[in-house]
Amino acid sequence: MDISINGAKILFTIENVPIFGTIHITQTVVVSYLVMAIITGLCIWLGSGLKVTGISRKQAVAELAVTSLIRFVRGNMGPGFDRYIPLVGTIFITSVISNLISVLGIWSPTADLMTELGWALVVFVVITYHKIKSAGIGGYFKSFLDPIFVMAPVNLLSELFTPISMACRHFGNILSGTVISALIYGALTAASHGLLTLIGESPVIAAVVIASGVGLILNSKQKKKKLPFVGGVICVALGVLSLLTNLGGIFTEIPWLAVGIPAVTSFYFDWFGGCIQAFIFCTLTTIFIKQAAGE
Amino acid sequence: MNTLYQSLVAVEPFTLIVTILNLFLQLYLIKKFLLDKVMAVLDQRREAADKQIREAEQAKQDAQEIRQSYESHMAQVKQEAGQIIHSAQKTAQDRSEQILRQAQAQASQIKEKAALDIAQEKKKAMNDAKNEISDMAMAIAGKVVGRCMDQQDQQHLVDEFIRELGDDL
Repeated sequence: MDISINGAKILFTIENVPIFGTIHITQTVVVSYLVMAIITGLCIWLGSGLKVTGISRKQAVAELAVTSLIRFVRGNMGPGFDRYIPLVGTIFITSVISNLISVLGIWSPTADLMTELGWALVVFVVITYHKIKSAGIGGYFKSFLDPIFVMAPVNLLSELFTPISMACRHFGNILSGTVISALIYGALTAASHGLLTLIGESPVIAAVVIASGVGLILNSKQKKKKLPFVGGVICVALGVLSLLTNLGGIFTEIPWLAVGIPAVTSFYFDWFGGCIQAFIFCTLTTIFIKQAAGE
Repeated sequence: MNTLYQSLVAVEPFTLIVTILNLFLQLYLIKKFLLDKVMAVLDQRREAADKQIREAEQAKQDAQEIRQSYESHMAQVKQEAGQIIHSAQKTAQDRSEQILRQAQAQASQIKEKAALDIAQEKKKAMNDAKNEISDMAMAIAGKVVGRCMDQQDQQHLVDEFIRELGDDL
């Protein structure tokens, strides 16, 4: 079977736009507005009806989120960088929501390199601003000749690769999650068809599998062990599914093994990886800005 | 219609620019609807807490001042009370001594006056007696001169004299 992994779906193509030439309106753009709507709605909901005393549970959550953000930025950058709290918070929440929206089966904007590159470029501008501010414009250009002028190209590249590496790190992780999810899904579908067809080829084999499963379940009931019980359930399920598959009709089409199992990998790559990458991106943002400011 | 896909890693300037603009728009929206509001509330709460702490400290200070002034006041009152009692005692003592002295003085005065009176009475009595005696002598002398007295008459006279004396006494 074919497994194709593509970039964002192109929804519209607008030809002959001045400056840009051909513009592709992709899923990334559309979903990023959806993400923005979700975040803004969340913010309006959390930010409404705030009180100084006698706060609601909702406000406690809002305050916890804001104070965590403030603590994160101050912890990484120290005091004096409070004006970057909104930027870091925005990148973090946008990244998390963008990563997690793939759980709903919607295209994740962070699976498009341009999204992360946009954020990284903004961070790069801030970094460069702080470098020039702390060293002066001459000092900034002189820093490329450090330690000797021969190193200038290397220094220039390392400077330019800061945003690119930031963007690619985030993008790569999300992409790898997408790729591995697709691979596992494809593999499980193939395995499902292969295995179930094989077992269900003759009803006798299916019956034997079911019988052994029932035997394992009964045995585990007597000995009160969990592992044989699970094995028995799996055997019974396999046998029943094999029979159903060979009955034909709609049951043949359903990739049974792909139900449930990809959720485990999805949990790691979409949920855990998604949150971790957002966190790493923000940590790098704060640390790079702090380094650039030379404090 | 044929579905078109971008390649896995596609460079699309339009998406890039939209993303950057979206980031700033999102930043503004988050700041306006959540961050600013929550921070304002947090600041207000911190101010309220600071104010309460300040007020509590002020109240404590006030209470301490009141206590101090009360204590010093009490000490003063105690001292005054002691002084009053002391002075009252002293006054009473003075007064009793004075009364005693006065009584003594009066008593001695009365005694002196009594003694004077006695002396005067005595003197008066003596004078009276003297007058009586001289009168009597005059009378006796007159009688002696008025009659020629014989032995008998003389005897008689002496008897009469004694009798008169006895009558007077």
